[in-house]
Amino acid sequence: MTDTNVMYPRKPKRITGRSIAVLVFLSMAAMFFCVPLYVLIVTSFKEMDQIREGAMFSLPTKWTLEAWHFAWFEACSGLNCSGLRAGFWNSVVILVPSLTASIALSMVTGYALALWDVKWAGPFLFVLFLCAFVPFQIIMYPLIRLTVTMGIYGSTTAIAFVHTVLAMPILTLIFRNFYKDIPPELIKAAIMDSGSFWRIFVEIILPMSGNILIVVLILQITSIWNDYLIGVTFGGLGTKPMTVHLANMVTVSTGTVSYNVNMAAALLTAIPPLVIYFVLGKFFVQGIAAGAIKG
Amino acid sequence: MPLRWSRITPQIALAPAVGVTLVAFLGAIGWTILMSFTRSRRLPEYEIDWDNPFRQFNRLFNDAGWQISLQNLIVLALGSALAIVVGFILAAMIERERRGEDVFRTVFLYPLAVSLIVTGVAWRWILNPQFGIESLLRGLGWESASFNWLSDPATAMYAIIIASIWQSAGFYMALMLAGLKGINTEIWSAARIDGVRLWRVYIEIIIPMMKFTFLTCAILLSLGVIKAFDIVLAMTNGGPGQSTWVPAYYTINAMSAKGNLGLASAAAVLMLLITLAVFLPLVALTSWQQRQARKGHAT
Repeated sequence: MTDTNVMYPRKPKRITGRSIAVLVFLSMAAMFFCVPLYVLIVTSFKEMDQIREGAMFSLPTKWTLEAWHFAWFEACSGLNCSGLRAGFWNSVVILVPSLTASIALSMVTGYALALWDVKWAGPFLFVLFLCAFVPFQIIMYPLIRLTVTMGIYGSTTAIAFVHTVLAMPILTLIFRNFYKDIPPELIKAAIMDSGSFWRIFVEIILPMSGNILIVVLILQITSIWNDYLIGVTFGGLGTKPMTVHLANMVTVSTGTVSYNVNMAAALLTAIPPLVIYFVLGKFFVQGIAAGAIKG
Repeated sequence: MPLRWSRITPQIALAPAVGVTLVAFLGAIGWTILMSFTRSRRLPEYEIDWDNPFRQFNRLFNDAGWQISLQNLIVLALGSALAIVVGFILAAMIERERRGEDVFRTVFLYPLAVSLIVTGVAWRWILNPQFGIESLLRGLGWESASFNWLSDPATAMYAIIIASIWQSAGFYMALMLAGLKGINTEIWSAARIDGVRLWRVYIEIIIPMMKFTFLTCAILLSLGVIKAFDIVLAMTNGGPGQSTWVPAYYTINAMSAKGNLGLASAAAVLMLLITLAVFLPLVALTSWQQRQARKGHAT
């Protein structure tokens, strides 16, 4: 009964047979998870001659950046053969205003709903909760008409506008859940100090929002960058994001398929969110959990 | 504590969000529902077809493409449910072992950070019959190896399922890991003292205790499956034929390829109904949990 294993069963001091078995199993699972990324990487550095030999797991006999260069500068997406970089810049141009607008809108909304006396806050939150789960398809056509009426359909502005609209319910709920735990004494004191709605927001709320802001930023950057459907629906000629360019490149290809170019293009598209993931992994987990559950 | 100092400014600040909700969500949903009862084709007609208001829904259910889509929705849901099982097994192992937790969690979760279009490129390459896993295994001597799943209507769905399990298992692992860490460690000591076998502790104690985590995962998975579009587009683009169509794909296809607004609206309305059927239990669950939490505080 006094065996330490009984008292602290979660911290085995010695490596037991079971530990080794578990670690081996986990490592094998980890290898399986890495296979797609691994084949993307090795294939993108190979020459087509080596790819035709099969052996997809082998390392390149001659490492070459040609495929990467071609994917970035010359690959064709539809009739436009200026490479993936056009899509990359479109994605950046879409990302920046989408981020700013969606976060500003949901932050203020979440703050007002959490801390101010708004009579209809309860029902409104419930409606937002419902909206967060609505399938995109049911509002797609009306949004197309709306953006056409606004005169922005087919531009990066339209894509950014739709991203902002679609993210509003979920982000508002995330911010509201964060702000409602702010101690009331703090706000009471601010009111005594004759703080107005906006002054309290700028002087007290904003400086407190660091953590939640990073979580939401990561959530939004990855989801906007990885979006395909909104980009393809609301983008026009020359304004479509990187994912759409990639999809066109790998599906519509005339003549022989340059697999190494396709793999390099896929990696180029994946690199920005992957960098964020590996640098800010902890916040990423919080972000997806918040995005999935709180909504 | 709600503030009553100013009533006007907060409501003005809420105006944009209210506007977006009324126009882009509620109004848009209402508009699409209206469209589903009209004879709209390429352009909207605003008159409800009183002679036969359910014309679009009838057409939908008589369309082989929609029937395939519904079947595939169920197949995809059941197949992807494996991601929850895999996620739980991985989480349980990581939680028991502790060594290398950060590394394993990072590896299992990275597919979630990558666009599904990229996921599609990677898996299509692995399943490529000429240069992929099939030729590799044949080269190793397994002559009958066949992984040309994507070009066979009978197996293409399985390829999509494998890719989506790969993509989402880490997410369920993260949720399960959070759930497992919330479990009181004394259970383990008690079970160990009683000499209960490890797998029985999981089956009889841990899994029943985590039923809400499992339910949450199941609901999130169902919502994800209904929305599944990118992965289908990237893996098969609906093909071969219509064999991998799902409702989300059908709706987009009816709108953009067929240019049939009425039919697409009817399909979108049914997607909304399926979502609500999955979603209402989530609302019930959340409020039930909140009541439980409040009860817990009171006692």
